[in-house]
Amino acid sequence: MENDEKKYEDVIKALKCLQDVKAPENFEADLQRRINSEKISKEEKKSFWENIFVPSRLIPSVGLVAVSVIIFFVVDTSSEEVDNPFLIEPRIREDVIAVADYRESEKKHEELSKEKSLKKEESAVEQKRDDIQLKTSDDKIIIDREKSGEVEGFTDEKDAVRNESIVAGANKVVDSLATINTESPQPTVPTEVGTEAVVGQTISKEELNFRQIQLTEEEQKTVNELKSQVQSLEKSNKGQK
Amino acid sequence: MDIKLRELSDEELILEFQKNNTEDAFNILVQRYKNPLTNFVFRFLGDYTACADVVQETMIKVYRYKDAYNSVAKFSTWIYTIAGNLARTEYRRQRRQNIFSINDYGEEHQTFDLPDETYRPDVATDSGIKDEIIQKALLKVKETYREAVILRDIQGLSYEEISEILGVNEGTIKSRINRGRAQLQELLKGIYKE
Repeated sequence: MENDEKKYEDVIKALKCLQDVKAPENFEADLQRRINSEKISKEEKKSFWENIFVPSRLIPSVGLVAVSVIIFFVVDTSSEEVDNPFLIEPRIREDVIAVADYRESEKKHEELSKEKSLKKEESAVEQKRDDIQLKTSDDKIIIDREKSGEVEGFTDEKDAVRNESIVAGANKVVDSLATINTESPQPTVPTEVGTEAVVGQTISKEELNFRQIQLTEEEQKTVNELKSQVQSLEKSNKGQK
Repeated sequence: MDIKLRELSDEELILEFQKNNTEDAFNILVQRYKNPLTNFVFRFLGDYTACADVVQETMIKVYRYKDAYNSVAKFSTWIYTIAGNLARTEYRRQRRQNIFSINDYGEEHQTFDLPDETYRPDVATDSGIKDEIIQKALLKVKETYREAVILRDIQGLSYEEISEILGVNEGTIKSRINRGRAQLQELLKGIYKE
């Protein structure tokens, strides 16, 4: 320690000889002024709650709140009671049109769906037939060429056997095609699928919120006439096809 | 001002101020510490205006946070700690304000000897000029070393007090003081030759 102090003797001396720096003359006055200004600003800067709970401000604000509460209750008692939304019955849907005889329309709908499915099957069978005809014609051409010797090969016994099987297959396809042409087309897809089969239970519309209109005799007649017109139009369309 | 108050120690005065809010006790403390603190802060900052502000701020903090003083500690170490912290903050603020800093181009805390045109050893005979040279050299010493050197060699505080003020153990303080002195010796070579 002493060695260090001896080593830096000059530096220590130089530092100790430095003139003392004194505070400015008005230091204390300035300090007092700053402290006083801080005190004043502290008094001025009251907290939010202090500002609110000043009695001079508290009394009118409390009075205002009390008056507003009283007015609210007075107005509230005179107003109508609000119905419980869960106890209100649902509105009747007027946009839904009810049909007089629902069963008849259901039958018609089934008939129409049957016709549509038959048409689809017919078109599918026709397409199949065309495809098979194309295939058999290609196979026949190949077989004829092979028989006439235009195509090379079939020297081995295995190849000959394969050739015979191809010919037999082609013949079978031709036979099946003949049977398709003679027989009338039978529907393969079940067409009659009732709502009971699909859903597993009958749907009754009695409990539903439909508006059921009871038609007068005249109205009933006009509806029946319209129905017969629609049916005749459908029949004529079928006949054209 | 009460004569009895003047006879009280620093610790007794601050306790009086704490308990009874005796402003005279505080004023006596201000009178006792305004010059030593000004000297310490000026030697650290090298700027008299900023130094006066820092010392005033220190006194205001003592006034405002008088209850934070713990009677176990010495009052002088407490007030020096406050002043040191404020001086360091001010020094760093001043450094940030200087957009161009030569230290940006060197290693951290590396110092540079710049040619000082104002100082000419052949003319430097006046003690005031000598002071100025020493002060400039002091400002070139690393911040942590400078603080320790000022407290020890200019303020004349003990190693124990310095370690309390800076919050570092005595061994570290001693090494910091020696390193600071070594840097100063290197910087003040010209003066010793005279």
